[in-house]
Order: sequence, then structure tokens, then C-alpha cells
Amino acid sequence: MLQTKKWRQYATFYAFVSPWLIIFIFLGLFPLLYGLYLSFTNFTGFNMNQLKFVGFSNYKTVFLDSESMYALGRTLLVTAINVPISLAIGLFLAVLLNLKIKGLSWWRTAFYIPSVVPVVSTVLMWKFIFSGDGLLNTLFDKLQLQPINWLGYEYATTALIVMLLWGAGGSLLINLAGLKGIPADLYEAAEIDGASPVRKFFTVTLPLMTHILFFNLIMGIIGSLQIYIQPILLSGKTLLDSPIKPNYLYLVHAFQQIFAFQRFGYGLALMWVLFIAILLLTVLVFYSSRFWVYYETDQEV
Amino acid sequence: MKKRILTSLAAIIATCVLITGCGASSGNGNVNQGGKTAEEPTTAPKTNEPVTIRVALSKGEVSDDEVKEFETNNPGIKITLEEIDQQKLAAQLATNDAPDLIRAQGAVDLTSYVVKGLAMDLTPFMQTSQVLKEDDFLSPVNLYRFDGKVQGQGPIYGMPKDWSPDFTIFYNKTLFDAAGVKVPDSKEPLTWNELMELAKKLTLTEDGKVKQYGLALLGKTQADFPSIMLEMASKGVNVFSEDMKTADFTKPEVKEAVSMWVDAVKKNLGKNDVNQDPAAWGGDLFMNNKAAMIMAGYWFSGMIRGDEKMKTHLDDFGMLAAPIAENGERVSPTGAATGFIINKNTEHPEQAWKVFEYIMAGTPAKNRATGGWGVPALKSLLPLMPQVTDFDKRVYNQLQEELKYSNGFLESNPFLLNGQTLLDKYVTPVYFGKADLDEALKELTKNANLIIQENMNAIQ
Repeated sequence: MLQTKKWRQYATFYAFVSPWLIIFIFLGLFPLLYGLYLSFTNFTGFNMNQLKFVGFSNYKTVFLDSESMYALGRTLLVTAINVPISLAIGLFLAVLLNLKIKGLSWWRTAFYIPSVVPVVSTVLMWKFIFSGDGLLNTLFDKLQLQPINWLGYEYATTALIVMLLWGAGGSLLINLAGLKGIPADLYEAAEIDGASPVRKFFTVTLPLMTHILFFNLIMGIIGSLQIYIQPILLSGKTLLDSPIKPNYLYLVHAFQQIFAFQRFGYGLALMWVLFIAILLLTVLVFYSSRFWVYYETDQEV
Repeated sequence: MKKRILTSLAAIIATCVLITGCGASSGNGNVNQGGKTAEEPTTAPKTNEPVTIRVALSKGEVSDDEVKEFETNNPGIKITLEEIDQQKLAAQLATNDAPDLIRAQGAVDLTSYVVKGLAMDLTPFMQTSQVLKEDDFLSPVNLYRFDGKVQGQGPIYGMPKDWSPDFTIFYNKTLFDAAGVKVPDSKEPLTWNELMELAKKLTLTEDGKVKQYGLALLGKTQADFPSIMLEMASKGVNVFSEDMKTADFTKPEVKEAVSMWVDAVKKNLGKNDVNQDPAAWGGDLFMNNKAAMIMAGYWFSGMIRGDEKMKTHLDDFGMLAAPIAENGERVSPTGAATGFIINKNTEHPEQAWKVFEYIMAGTPAKNRATGGWGVPALKSLLPLMPQVTDFDKRVYNQLQEELKYSNGFLESNPFLLNGQTLLDKYVTPVYFGKADLDEALKELTKNANLIIQENMNAIQ
């Protein structure tokens, strides 16, 4: 009796999740595993009928190939700079836009727009800003400053990060939602105790926003490690162009190996290594969260 | 939250799966229908149902009017034009869902299509064709011949729709005057060194800003793969070994050629990675009077002819011979020879061939020839090329000169596509003084060989 009831529960559960599950299995899980299988072969895109198993050779190449390690290093650097700063900017903007100021909706739209603009247009726009006689250098010229080769070797990564930070308003919606969720009585209590606005921010707002920051941090890390189109288009014109070396990020390397040089097996191995790296980082952040993320309920994620 | 990475990863892998899933089916497909070439009767249905032939091309290469004309004259065949996208095409080829006619470049990817077994041998069709006859072919048609070892020999897999000797140089006399430099004689080709010297004189700066560049390439005025191969052809130096198994970019001749381009970047002769000029391409600079010369094929005369501002003073423009190496042989080959191949797995070879013939010798071919956007592949169409204005005649006459030296081909390797991507990767740091040229060329050679080897092993 109990058995049938339980079975029924299971059946109902799986029936309800089945639309998602079926799509995930066929378009998610199967391709993933198939990709994993191919990363152990010498697949080049056209040799399906002559596929050879090559063991861990592609994975060995990932770690022995100085380029992939260089690219991974640069990617981690960009992530390490981009993510914290964009978190800070995102939160700062949200706090400002949570105030009762004139033209609020206009400001909110303005800061959110970068997240809606297609990435290709964004890059093209910044290319004009950064180029030799571009907007930024013209401004420098007016201010009697030396022009800077923004897209050159020394500043290319800076330029890339500035461009990425332009999109920091992307977390605005969720940040605002988080801010609205902070009970007003906490602020009132703080005011009665005579807390300054800065004090209020650090003792009320920030602790109650940590779960939002935590979410943004994970999404930011994942997104940042997967950047590839921005560096390519910042110095090139087509997807197969090489970005300038300091902006040669990990996914650019993988994309080039697959689509420019038909090294599908190696490219897929690169992707799986990245997947594992992201997984590890995420686990690490999750682990760390118990020390700094505050939940009003005692429940952990 | 891991979903996002999962989905994006899945998207990429899904592409691969498409390709592989298809690879498998195309493998089987080969067994079932691989033999279906010209000799066999087509499997086309005998009913009156029209057959659809899909053509992958770049926008505007065949017009809707031309399609209509063909369909009126061939009621059994419908043409669908599809804009070509290399990544999509790779997936289509693997799933056996590729278009019947595929845009290819004789000098770039033809051999790669052949070694991968994707191009149909058109020799039997050519032998019986009423409109495409071998003695009417200009030499670049041979770029579509490949016997598995040497390009230019063996079965024919397609042909160029049009082509140009791609390394000729167009000049803008107004900018020569501004620099107080005389336009060189077009009869004798310049050597690369002379060209660079000239470009240096033509590059003018004002208050530290470039007023005009000396030399534009289609892309950037820096190490350019085809131009380097051109210089090697003129010197008679091979980069790839005869068995195509290895590449050697460390040869002193290659180094000399690349360092010339490194120098061109230092002297700021055109748009490059260091100055990051925002112009979309070299043609933009030339068309806006910002570059005195541009290295481009005959087709570029179509740009000048069609430009509202340039049209009014065509006397200021002309074409110079392709440059040669110091003491080198005079060569003026094509760097592209864009045309079509027929998909080996097409279900309608006869009908596909009809469309092929129409594009190569019918109205589209005539329209291309009269438009002056390239040199036709057929001798019989040459007289249609524009020869109205003095500019037309000047360019046409120079072209006739170049054609005498256009029989040779640039070296290519079927297992190494996108040489430019690789070259840029290693040489760009040299422009910034961040890497040593010898080291860069060594790395380039090492990685090129790795790619060649992997791609070669994959199909053997």
C-alpha cells in the first residue's frame, strides 16, 4: 500500500518535471557526454568514420601546451579584477538608484541599457572610444595629456576590463530587488540609534545583501571565465582573428583550436578542463559562503 | 547557477554532436550513395515535381532575377540561395545536409574540401559539357584540380566564378602629389623593398598624427599570409614540404619577408595592430583618400568605378604590377579564385551541374564580366569586361600584362586552414617588441606542424 503511494508520488514528480528533463537529456546531457567522449578521440570534424581513441592525450596537451596555460592565467586575472569591481559598482549603483531622486526611472534605464545592447555593438562602440584617434584620446588631447595606445600591448587588458565593467549595471535588477527586501524598520531602528548613512550601509544594508552578492559573485565568476567574443572583436574583425596576446583568453584559445584549426578533440578537452575549473571555483565559493553570507532564515543553500 | 555554464557548454558541444552525428550518417551515406557521380543515372524523381538545388554563396553573388531566368528556362529545377556561414556549413556537411553547390576558394580551401572527401569530381561532366570547355578556361581554373598531392593536376572539382591577380596595387595620384612623389612606371613591377620605400615616402604625418598612409592592404598593413606566400613564390622558396607533412617558417627567406612587415608596422605605413586605426578595412582608407596605395586585385577597380566621389576624377587612379622579390621571378597569381564545388553527397548531381553551368557560363557569368568586379574564368567572356573610360582601359591593359604571370599558384596546405590566424598570434607580439622574431617563427612552425599532423592523422 505504502509502496504504491510512494511510487505514485515519484511518477507524479517525474511526470511534472519531464518536459524539462527530456529536453535536458537530449539537448544537454547527451551532447555533454558525447563531447566528453569526443575529447578522448582524434576528432577533427570530418573523420567520424575513422575516429581513433587517443586516451588522455588531449588532456595532457591542455596542461603541457604553454598557450592554454597562459590563456588560463590571463582569464583568471581578468576574472579576479573584473568580478569584485563589477560587484562593487553594481551594488553602489543599486544603492544610489534606491534613493528617491528625480528622473529615477531614466537613470535606472540608463544603467541597465549596457546589459541589453548586443555584445558586438558594445565592442564596436568601445573600439571607437579606444582607437588611436578615438574618443578617449581626443579627450586626453583636450586635457593636454599624452595619448595612450589603449588597444596596444600594455593597455589592452585594461581596456577589456573597462569595457566589461561598463556592463556592471547588469546586476541592477536583482540588487534593487534585494535592497527593497530589507525591512524598513531596521533602518528606522538604526536612525533612532543615531547611525550615520555610512554606518547604516555597513551594518544594515551590506549584511542583508550578502546573499545577493553571493549569487552575483558566482554568476560573475562563471560569466567572466567564459568571455571570448569581446577580446576577439576588440582587436579583430572576424571570429577567427587572433586577439592581441594579453587578451588571449582561455575560451578564445578553445574556439580557435576548434573552428580555425579543426582540433575538435583538443578543443573539447579544453572545455572540459574549464568546466571542472569552474566547478571547483564554485564549490570553493559555496564553501566560503558559510563564513560571510547572512541568511535571515537558518537554512543554508 | 551551474545551468548557465551547462547550457553554454552544451550549445558548443551540441554543435559538435550535430557535426559528429552527421559525420556518422555521412559515413554511411558515403557507402550508400558514394558512387553516385556523373556516370550513374540520377535518383531524381521521374515525376514532374521540381528538384530544388541549394546554393551556398555570399549575398549578391547570384541575383533573384538570374534565379528567375534559370527557373523559367529549366522548369524541373528550383534554386534556393543560402548565405554561406562556415561554422553552419561544417555542421551541415557533417549531418549530410549541406547545400548542393558550395562556395569555395581555389587558392585557399579547395584542397581541404578534396582531402575531406566533400567535393564531387566534375571531370565527367566537364568532358561532355556544351558550355564549359577546357580550351576556354583561364589558368586559375586549374586551382580546382587536385590529385591528392599536387594542386593544378588531376580531377577537377569546381571552378572559379571570377578571380583576379590579387596582388596588384591601385594608386591614388592625388595623394602621390600631396607627398611630392611620382607614380612609378606600371610596366615594371616594383620589388618589395621599393614598394616599402615608396610607401614610406607617401606616409605623411601632421602634428604626430597620420594624414595619409602609404600602403593599405585589405586587412592590416602587417605580416599578411598571402603576401608572404607571394614573396616566397617569387623567390622560388617552399614553406611546405612536398608531402605536405611539414611547414617551415623559420627559413631565412620567410624571416626576411616577415621582418619587412614588422618594419612596415614600425614605420606606420598603414592600419596595424599598434596604431589600431578604426577603419573597417584597408579599402575604407583608400576610398576615403587616407591611403595612397592599396594592394588589391583587379576587382577593386569596381569599387573605384562605382564610387560617387572617385568617379569624377578617374584619371587619378590606376593599377600597378604585383611586387616581386629582390632578384625574384615575376609572378602575379590569384590569392582567392572564389567559385563553387558540388557537394559529393548531392542527391541531384545532374541538376546541380545544370545550375553550376548556369552560374559559370550563363547570365550570372556575363553580368559579372560586364560589371568589372573580377576577371572571368572563361576566355570567351574577357571581351565583356569594361573598357569605356580611360581608367577602364588603363586597368584592363595592366591586367593583360599581369595575366601573363598568373599561371602559377600560391602554395597552400590542405591540412592547415587559417594560416593568418596562426601568423597573427605569434607575430603580433613582435610588433610591440614583446617577442623575438626568430622565437615567434619557431613557435609558428611548431604549432603549424602540430595542426597539420593532427589533421592528417585524422583522415588516414
